[in-house]
Amino acid sequence: MIAVELHKLAKSYGRKEVLRDVTLSVESGEFAVVFGLPASGKSVLVRLLTGLETPDQGSVVLRGADVTRLSAGERNIGYVPQSFALYPHFTVRQNIAYPLDLARVPKAEIEPEVQRVAGLLGIQELLDRKPDQLSGGQKQRVAIARGLIKRTDIYVLDDPLVGLDFKLRERLIDDLKRTQEMLKVTFIYTTSDAVESLMLASQIAVLDGGEIIESGAPAALYAHPQRTQTMHHVAFPQANLINGILRQQSGVQVVETPAFRAGFVAERPGQPGGEIQIGIRPEHIRIGQPPGAGWLTHQAQVLLREDLGGEEIVYLNASGLVLTTVVRSDDQTQQHVDIDQSVVIGVEPHHLVVFQDGRRIGVCKVSE
Amino acid sequence: MLDIRTDNLRKQFGDVVAVDDLTITFPAGATTCLLGPSGCGKTTLMRMIAGLETPTHGDIYFGDQRVTRLSTRARNIGMVFQYPVVYRGSDVRANIELPLRAEKLSKAERDRRVDEVLDLLEMRHAANADLDALDNGTRQKVAVARAVARQPKIILFDEPITNVDISSKLQLKRALKELVTRLNQTIIYVTHDQTEAMTLADQIALMKDGRIVQYATPRELYDRPNDVFGGWFLGNPGMNFVENFARTIDRDGVVHSPLFAAPVRLSGRSGAPLTLGIRPEHVRVHAAAHPEAVPARVVNRAIVVGGQYLVTLQIGDAVLKAKVASHTGYALGEEAWVQLPLERITLFGADGHKPDIALQPINPSNTQPLNAAAQRTQP
Repeated sequence: MIAVELHKLAKSYGRKEVLRDVTLSVESGEFAVVFGLPASGKSVLVRLLTGLETPDQGSVVLRGADVTRLSAGERNIGYVPQSFALYPHFTVRQNIAYPLDLARVPKAEIEPEVQRVAGLLGIQELLDRKPDQLSGGQKQRVAIARGLIKRTDIYVLDDPLVGLDFKLRERLIDDLKRTQEMLKVTFIYTTSDAVESLMLASQIAVLDGGEIIESGAPAALYAHPQRTQTMHHVAFPQANLINGILRQQSGVQVVETPAFRAGFVAERPGQPGGEIQIGIRPEHIRIGQPPGAGWLTHQAQVLLREDLGGEEIVYLNASGLVLTTVVRSDDQTQQHVDIDQSVVIGVEPHHLVVFQDGRRIGVCKVSE
Repeated sequence: MLDIRTDNLRKQFGDVVAVDDLTITFPAGATTCLLGPSGCGKTTLMRMIAGLETPTHGDIYFGDQRVTRLSTRARNIGMVFQYPVVYRGSDVRANIELPLRAEKLSKAERDRRVDEVLDLLEMRHAANADLDALDNGTRQKVAVARAVARQPKIILFDEPITNVDISSKLQLKRALKELVTRLNQTIIYVTHDQTEAMTLADQIALMKDGRIVQYATPRELYDRPNDVFGGWFLGNPGMNFVENFARTIDRDGVVHSPLFAAPVRLSGRSGAPLTLGIRPEHVRVHAAAHPEAVPARVVNRAIVVGGQYLVTLQIGDAVLKAKVASHTGYALGEEAWVQLPLERITLFGADGHKPDIALQPINPSNTQPLNAAAQRTQP
């Protein structure tokens, strides 16, 4: 069953068009993540979905019924807002219970529900505290519990982990994933964080330029991104992008950039002479002499080596291009380097993804 | 070069102990990162070293000199703060030169020092740029340059990268790395960001609740945490911990555990139950049955840093996360076989500290020769 369907949604504020044409369909039981950069319109999308605002055009269909003209209260959606404003004079218990109090649920029925969501998020022992006795992460868990206390089948979470430190996010990502799976409900979750998207989602929808430009399962989007923005942003570290030109030379198409030349394997027709962008994932750039034939190689200088513990991120300058690579710290097959060192880098041509006008048109190959 | 020593140093704000009777030496000429979550006391410690906060008791020494009662000014240190402190409306060179004028250095000496630090930070081209025209990362570089040009023996950094725009972070990090590598000054650098600390530090002082949990080189801290806190705090995600991992431990220290395909041995005796710690990237995962691995259920998997998979595995009651290569993670079904290399395991006691006990294979001396002998007999 389709839980949520957004159909050609558009919304402008004055002359500013925020959403142009948002179409998205989410199956029941999915953890759908809407990924978008800051100011891409995620919050507006949430407001249209929850009924806090009405679209200029298009429709919102929930559980098969058009709710575009229904108010927020009539849509039967759970909602976790981005800023977790808790009532300071209420206890945690009262804060969590508030949506049910508002809906005039009998007191006797509220306590078991509070216990249930507190249990989901591991905050049972905090119920008698006041918000000012909580850490940032505890507050956020209380806010999430409050959003989940309403028993329904669709919940909307608006970037709930933004601004939290990463150890806390690590824990809450686990909590949210487990909670959604246990409740067997539909989550619509917005974020601008690639790692959150990849870790939480069963389906990622990429919002860019007021449209959902691409959507799919994380593994599929990561392996075969169809749009430049998806490849570049829905990854950590971000994919490298290099500008180039698609040239026509004696009957064959050639990819040309300041750093290298390569053959072109078209997946769809590209415009010869046109500008292109080449996407390269950091993990596909190898430092040191390549292990076999058929690699593109280039000289580069190490700008910085960052130590993540389990991995190293190495930033390189190759003919003026800044490239990012990532290596596992325990990888014995690659050269480990330090700042200012000169190195050879290599990449297999089929890992170079060619985009034109933001759309994937093919990959590279060794030029004849 | 001066080392920085604290002796029984304490700071209390009312009932809250920010720094708890700390005695430690930060070596001369080295870069020490004070790393820890918010509220661990790292900023208070730095502010006491700077003279911006008065200790409740205890002393601070720069080399042989006791500086506890000296004013910030009299301590002659360089400082760089979270937000770049620069003089707007003047250019980069004038900003860096200003404190040198106060020290009444000659024009030639001032120029020499400014040029030197501009080169060091790769900003010679921006020498005459107006501060108002610069992004906040470059402004922070100017603040760094000004602190360095005075050539103080001690430089303190308070989260200098935290509030810098993403677009100029790389440039600033590189400048700081070049700086801490080339300078001979004693540097204390406060951060909550483990990557920053691991990247820049010679030594990391990992802090929690006003104390230094571990003081070690970045790799040592990461690879051999002496406390569960270090195992958890460093790494993304941090270490896996399995409490009471042994099903039985017999009198000879032989351990039977659902986590291992064969019995293993404890190198020493432990009174209390032990917790097993292993980093996700050290957990080996096989898609098919493997003689040295135990079967596990794949609970979840997701793409993480560099296209690797983070796989959540369940073995009995134990849940482990493994960070594996993308092709391994992609190929996994609902079942996997898990192997925990003994040399990658750290044991922790009930108090969270690492005891002087490790896990060893049974008969490690026998297995190798036996195999070797078997190979020799083959034609």
